[in-house]
Parts: sequence; C-alpha cells; structure tokens
Amino acid sequence: MATKKSRKPTLSEKSREDELFQSLQYASLIQAALLPPSKQIFRILPSHFLIYLPKDIVSGDFYWIFKKQEWIYFAAADCTGHGVPGALMSILGITFLNEILSSKSFLLPNRILNMLREKIMKALHQTDDHDHSKDGMDISLCAFNPQTRVLHFSGANNPLYYFRNHALHIIKGDRMPIGISGNEEKSFINHEIQMRENDILYIFSDGYADQFGGPHGKKLKVNRFRDLLIKYHSKPLNEQKEALLNELIDWMKNHEQVDDILVMGFKV
Amino acid sequence: MELISFRIHNYRSIIDTGWCELSSDNITGIIGQNESGKTSILEALYSFYTGTISEDIMRSDLSNPKVSCTFEIQPEIFEEVLKRKNLPEGILNFVRTSHSFTLTRLWDDNMENVLYLDGVEISGFYSRYEQNLRDVEAEMQKRIDEYLAKRDQIVDDAENAEKKLREEAKNLESANNLLSEAKKEFKLLKKTPNGKYAEEKLEEANKLFEETRRVCEIADQEFDIKRRKADEALYHARIVDESVKATKHFNYLQNKLEESFMALHEIQKVFDKTTKEKEKRSLQNEMEHLNKEYLKVSMEYKEAKKNAVIKKHIAYKFISGKSLALAEKEVMKEKPEVEKFFTKEEAGEILFDLIPEFIFFEDFSSLLPNRIDLEDIMRVDLQKEGLRAARNYLLISGLTPDFFTETSSRILKQKIEKLNKEVTLDFHDFWRQNIGKANKISINFELEHYDDSDPEKVGHPYLEFWIKDRFDRLYPKQRSRGVRWFLSFYLELKASSLSKDERGRVLLIDEPGLSLHARAQEDVLKVFEHIKDKMQIIYSTHSAHLIDIRKLHRLLAVQRAIENDESSETKVYNARSLAFASADTLTPVYTLIGSSLNEQQFIHKNNNVIIEDIATYYYLTVIRTLIGFNKEIYFLPASKISNISTMVNILLGWGLDFIVLTGNSSEGIKTHEALKNTLYLNDDKASQEHLVHLENFYTIEDLFSTLDFKKYILHKRIGIPESNSEYLEENNILRPVLASGFMDYVEENDLKFESFDEETRENFEHLFQMLDRGLR
Repeated sequence: MATKKSRKPTLSEKSREDELFQSLQYASLIQAALLPPSKQIFRILPSHFLIYLPKDIVSGDFYWIFKKQEWIYFAAADCTGHGVPGALMSILGITFLNEILSSKSFLLPNRILNMLREKIMKALHQTDDHDHSKDGMDISLCAFNPQTRVLHFSGANNPLYYFRNHALHIIKGDRMPIGISGNEEKSFINHEIQMRENDILYIFSDGYADQFGGPHGKKLKVNRFRDLLIKYHSKPLNEQKEALLNELIDWMKNHEQVDDILVMGFKV
Repeated sequence: MELISFRIHNYRSIIDTGWCELSSDNITGIIGQNESGKTSILEALYSFYTGTISEDIMRSDLSNPKVSCTFEIQPEIFEEVLKRKNLPEGILNFVRTSHSFTLTRLWDDNMENVLYLDGVEISGFYSRYEQNLRDVEAEMQKRIDEYLAKRDQIVDDAENAEKKLREEAKNLESANNLLSEAKKEFKLLKKTPNGKYAEEKLEEANKLFEETRRVCEIADQEFDIKRRKADEALYHARIVDESVKATKHFNYLQNKLEESFMALHEIQKVFDKTTKEKEKRSLQNEMEHLNKEYLKVSMEYKEAKKNAVIKKHIAYKFISGKSLALAEKEVMKEKPEVEKFFTKEEAGEILFDLIPEFIFFEDFSSLLPNRIDLEDIMRVDLQKEGLRAARNYLLISGLTPDFFTETSSRILKQKIEKLNKEVTLDFHDFWRQNIGKANKISINFELEHYDDSDPEKVGHPYLEFWIKDRFDRLYPKQRSRGVRWFLSFYLELKASSLSKDERGRVLLIDEPGLSLHARAQEDVLKVFEHIKDKMQIIYSTHSAHLIDIRKLHRLLAVQRAIENDESSETKVYNARSLAFASADTLTPVYTLIGSSLNEQQFIHKNNNVIIEDIATYYYLTVIRTLIGFNKEIYFLPASKISNISTMVNILLGWGLDFIVLTGNSSEGIKTHEALKNTLYLNDDKASQEHLVHLENFYTIEDLFSTLDFKKYILHKRIGIPESNSEYLEENNILRPVLASGFMDYVEENDLKFESFDEETRENFEHLFQMLDRGLR
C-alpha cells in the first residue's frame, strides 16, 4: 500500500509547487539585486574573494559593502534561519545598514551595530514585556581606511580572523546578537587594528564550519575551518577560494548542505 | 491598573475641569487657595467610586454631576473580562492601541446614578452601533406595521364579502319568492286570456331567479376565497400579534418600574428627614415592602424586555417569508442584539470591578477620636466623628463584633492589652521605615460602659482611645496634631493593605498638611514617596512643604474663574499650564522657589548657566556630580526655550555673568542665533564661551546613548532607532517626570559615571568641556 509520503503530487499540487518555485526564483532575483554586485566589490576592494552558497533558493546570509569618504565598510552576516525567513531578515539588515550609513558621517562599527540592533528590535517589536520573536542576526562588520590602513571591527557573535606573517590572529565579536536576547543590551565593543601590507583578513558566517560530512558524517567545526585557512592563506586569493570550495565539496560528499555558507577574504 | 486622568462636570463649584492627567509617578498634588475647589475634586473622585452624592453637591442650575475616570488596562484583560458578549465594532481595537478605557458616573435629579463605559472614541462606536440598532428596529417595526395593515385590509375585505353574500342571499330569497308567486299565478291563469301574460311573468321571474342565484354563487365563492385568505392572515398574524403584545407588556412594565422607583425614592426622602424612632421603624417596614416590589418589577421588566425583542425578531423573520420553526430556531441561535452585545452600562459595571479602590482620608472621619460608641461603629453611622479611624483600628486588630460579647472582663482586658501591644509595635515599625526616626508612643484602646452621668446611654459600651508615651497618657485630641495624623494615616494604610482585594488603590487625602508643622509636613511627603509604588496618591494642599521642587510635574492648580469670587466656577490647570494660574494659587510654589533661592543661593555673580527647561536641569545636576565636575556652576532652568531671552535680560540687568546652553531644536537654534546676533553681533569667537550650542543634539536626552537612555532613564528594553528626543516626543512622554525619575534612580542605585557607555561619557565630557570654557 502506498504511503502518504510516496504519493505522487496531484496536478493542482504540482501547479502550486511550480508557482511557489517561480515565486522563490523571483525572490532570489530581488535578493541578488540588494547584494552588492561583484563589479562594485572589485572597484572598492580589488583584492578579495567571496564564497556565497545559499542553502535554498534565497539565503539568510548576506554580505554588504559601502564606501563613505575614505572609509570602506564591509560585513558578513548570518540571519536567524535560512530560506525565506532568513532572506526577509537579510533584506531588513541590508536596508538598515544602508540607512544608517547614509544618514550619519563616520561611524565606528560598534555604533553601527548598536543602531542596527535598535532598528531590528523596533521592526520586530522586540521588547522585554511581552512575547516577541527572538529573530535577529550575527554579523562581522569592518570599517577600513586604505590610506592609513586602520581597521575598526565589531562583531555580534561573529569574529574577525587575520593573518600577519603567516600567524593567525583572532578578534572575537561580542557574545550577543543583533536583536533581543536573554541578556540586557550592552554596547558592542569596537576593536581598532593597524593593518599592514599583505595582511589577509576573513569574515564569515557559521555555515562552512557547521557543514556535516567527512568520514563520520560530523560537523566540520571551527578548528578544522581554521586549519584550512592556515593551510591556504598564503595562496593567491582566487586559489584560496577554489581550495576552500574543493575542501567543502570533499567534506560534504553525499551530505546535504545544512545552512547558508558565506566566507569573505580580503588582502590589504 | 492605574487611574490615568479624570474629568469632573457640575460638581459643586466645578462646571468642567477638562481632562486632568495624574502624575505618572503616582503622587499628584492639588494646590489652590481655600474655597478654590480642591476638596471638591477629591470628593468628586470619591463619589465616582462610591456612587453617592449629597444634595449640596448639586449646582443651582440643576445640571447633573458627572465624573469620568480613565484607567490604564492591558488589552488582554479588557478582552478577557468582556468576552461573554460582543462590543460594538472598533472598541477592542481602540483599547488595544490606547491601553486605556474610561468610565463615567452620571447622577440624575434624584441623585441616582448610572455608570457606563465612556470616552470620545468609545461613545462614537456606541453611537454608530445604537444608530444601526435603531435603523434595524425601525425597519422591523415598519415591516410589522405594514404587515398588520395588510392583514386588517384582508379581514375587512372578507367581512365586506360576507356582507355582500348576505345581501345576495336575501336577494336570492326574494327572487325565489317572486318565482314561486309567478308559478302559482301561471298555474291559475294559464288557461285564461291572461295566460300569456302570466307565462311572460313566470319567465321573467325565472330569469331573475337564475341571475340572482348566479350572483349569489359568485358572492359565495368570493366570500369563501376571502374568508380563507382572512383566516390565513389571522393565523399568521398571531405571531406578529404576540410580538405586539410582548412590546405592550414591556412598555407597561417600564412605566410600572418607574412608578415603583419613584415611590421608593420618595419614602427614602421622608425616612432621611424623620428623626422619630417610631416613625422611622414604620417607614422602614414600608420601604422594605416597596423595595421588594421594586426588585420584583425589575426582574419582570428585564424578562419582558428580552421577550419583546425576541418576539419582534421572530415576527420579522416570519413575515419575511421564513417558517415559524425556522424563524424561532434562527433567533435562538443568533440571539438578538440585546443579548449579544454589552450595553455601555453593562460593560461599565464589569470593568468597575477591575479599577483600583478609592480611599478618602479626611480629618473628620479618618482621624482617631477620643471615644466612640460601639453601636455607632457597628451601625456605621457616618455622622460620628472618627468612625473610619475606629473601624480601621478594629480591622487591624482583627476584632469582630463577637469579641465584645466576651463576658469575662479579665479575659477581655488581657486580649485588649495584647492587641494594643501588637498594633503599637507595628506602628513603630511603620514610623521608623517611613519617617526614619524612633517613636516611643504606644496606642491603646479600652472598652468602657457609660455610667449614671449619662442617663440616656447608661450601660452602653463605648471605645476609648489613648496615646501614651513615657510620661503621659493622653486622648488622641490632646496629642500633637502630627502624631494624631500619622497614627490615623497608619491605621488607614494598614487597614487597606489587609484587604484581600487584588486591585490597586487610589488614596485621596484632603489637606494632609493642615495645621501640621513644617517638619511633619515634610514627613508626610516622605511617607508618600515610600508608599507610591503600592498605591496612587492624590492630595490637596496649600503648603509649600508638601511640594517637592524637583517634582513640579505632580501639581494640578485649582482656582476660581473669577479670583476671590466663591460663586464663580472652579478651573484646573495641569503642570504644563501652571503659568496660567494666578499668583495666589501658586503661592506655595513661589514660597518654595523663594526659599530655595535663599537657601541654595540659586543665582550667583558668575558661572550661571541658563538652560532650556527643568528636565535639562535635572539631568545636568546629576551628571555634574557623577562626572566630578568641581568648578562652581549654577544651572538656571528657563521654564521653556522661549523664556531664555527674558532670563538673559534679567541677568544682564543685574550685571550677572552667564552662559546659555541651547539644543539643536528649531527653537534652540533660533534662540542661539538671536542671542549671537544681539549680544555678540554674530561674532563666533566672542560668543563661543557664552553661547554653547549642542549642534548634534535636539535636547539633553540625546546626549545619552540609546542604550543608556533605555537602561537608566526609560527602564525598558525596546528598539529605538530614532533619537531619544524623537522617541519622547512621539510617545508623548513627560520629560520632567522621566528626568526626576532618573535622579532618583541614580541616587538609589549608586550609579557612577563609569556605568554609562563610551558614547554617553564622551558626549557629556565634551559638553562640560565646552561649558568650562565660559566659567570663571
């Protein structure tokens, strides 16, 4: 006897599925239009690579770049959930970041994150006195001045990695999200780093490290991801991207992708 | 649930107070001269709660007193208590957004009152709903009337047809007689020369008979049809008739209810005026009888009302073409509006159970008496001085009437002694916690009986109160008024806290400072501060010692429309419009500011900083201390930005040095530009030390980072992407209230400057650096 699961979809169900698929395809076009085009990224940050692998048609991860006077702002963010909910949140995130940067003059990344959190909390009606969604995002946000090579970094649950003379340095982000959480909101911390020529820095979502695979079907984990960066960081950026992708494919084998994946690399 | 605002109409000297908002920090002071109407406001609020008024409340123009109170409520609770029936469309949404509702109590000429759900918006929703009901009702009535008119027409037609049939039957009988005669005549004459004539006559008679018979048959048929129609119409109309009958019965009971009420009301009036016991007893019996009658009619009235509406709906459906069974089924299922929707009054009564308890503390009844008869306490004789205080005492002691039936005087004495000790200990605790000092007095009550010196009452029990200290045992009235007041106030608070009622409390206190010395008055204020989280306090005063200069937002000023004319109406001004109140009304405030000038040396030769308003004053005073700014600096708050120029002129006139601090609001920019132009001829360099302008901040609150603003000032976790000042304006939050709350918070939590985040610290450090440049 056929089970419900194995039942073929009826014609009307099929047409609904098609309709849904087309809607999502269209939504992915909108999302892509909001993400900075590669041409723009290359113009602002010529030495970079980007791995952006949505799990579904639309993604909860997003990258963002913004130039204001002598400062280049760039971010990698990971919104709660993936698929449609994550994508909607990512649209909020991109819109709010653009809004914040457009309205004020120079802002340190921690202030930007503080403001972004206020906007997200208001948009999602997140308060401490009634039931609210715990949705939000984790993000690494940098402001870099190419002339002085000063870099400011602030992170919400996400870190910044950089290599200097083949040594890995890790700047941890604050342990709080953009959005309401169990603890009272505090100001994000700003980290100022004087970068040097040939330093390479990486910001990323947790998708790469959380991917299941390998011989025992386990998570790749942060340590292994770090090892991969240590292994490949000295290669040219396009080769690094290829190597990281190959490693990921090897690791995944027959496993499905579990989350959106985003890794950004940038050479000073 | 808290009382947010009130409005009083036609209550003694008050014609309309307009909406008066209470201070959001739970202490509201009503200031004004004697006879200005302060007490009337408190009494009106108490009347709102109790529903009772006396004749002297009514205005001479006989306009009806009305008191409205708006309460804060969580929309979920509002929906929960009123879920049994529907409310007119729009009301729930209104409560969901406003988080409040208004109740109004209106008295009629007989001093009877009705309580109902009110408010501009809610009344609008109800009006629309009632209009709709009236339209539906009118449509139903029109259809019913048309239907009955049609039935009457059918019945008339049937009667006419019957009449016609009867006439035709008579005609037929006549024709038949004629025919019989013609037949006889023909028989006799047929063989005579007149036979032809007789034959013609017979033929004629025959013809007439036939014709008449045909007409009669037609009339019979017509009557038959019309009679059937009429029978049918009458049968159907019985449903409509029942509706008409039910409506008539309802109208009859409505009249009867009014008559019954009037009879009861009249006898109540006579009873109140009668002083003779015998007459009173007889009237009481009569009253009880009438009351029973009234209750009975009232029940019948309610039932008749329901029945009339249901019957009308059934009749309407029936005449609209539905079968009786279906019409009945539908009406029972739908339930007519009268059952489905809450009336304003029904909703009001339900919501009234949620509102805080209003307690009125006034000297005559609430201050502890020297003695009071036990039977006056038990009978709750409101005319007896100190009744409320005595009842409070008994409640706190846990005494019930049974206690006094104890026959053994030794046991009774022991028990009384134990209770006295318990109450005294508790009072000491209250005194220490609130006033912060030790107090050694003890409170005692004793049960005594009248002796021969009072022949009328001999043998009757009474309670006697004493207040003892190390040296004396004195009656309450022999003690200082302060001690008596605090003791009685303690009794009131303690008694109300024993209430099992979960609702909040609104404490109305008339002239707590009356004849207390200055220190004791300040102690009263301390007590208010201590209890304000547990209950709302509204008090009247004309003492400067009962006003906190840091909390002027708590004040409502009351005065007569025409000063010194006690027959003119009472006007109320809220804290934002104190400037419109007269100088006499504001005397306590002026006294306070004056004394502050003397004591605190408000204005100095140098280092005066004129700031925009009182909120700015609170914030800067606190931050200055936290930041450890040691230079002499004196903040002078203008009551609003537009007054800065006036203050500048005064200081210039007195030859005093000053700095002006302005924010980046349009008014702030305008003031800054005007001063730069008039005083420094637009010379930036010359003006920069004396005119400090906050270019990126609208108001002082904007100097706090959003996080600090939320954490230390707003005490809320909520997303605020806009500036703090925009948030305050959009949400209509009173800045001085928030600022004074911040002062208290900093003090209570021992906040340090380091507690603020980098953004806040940078902003204030920068501000004080800018101010520092102009200081000497």
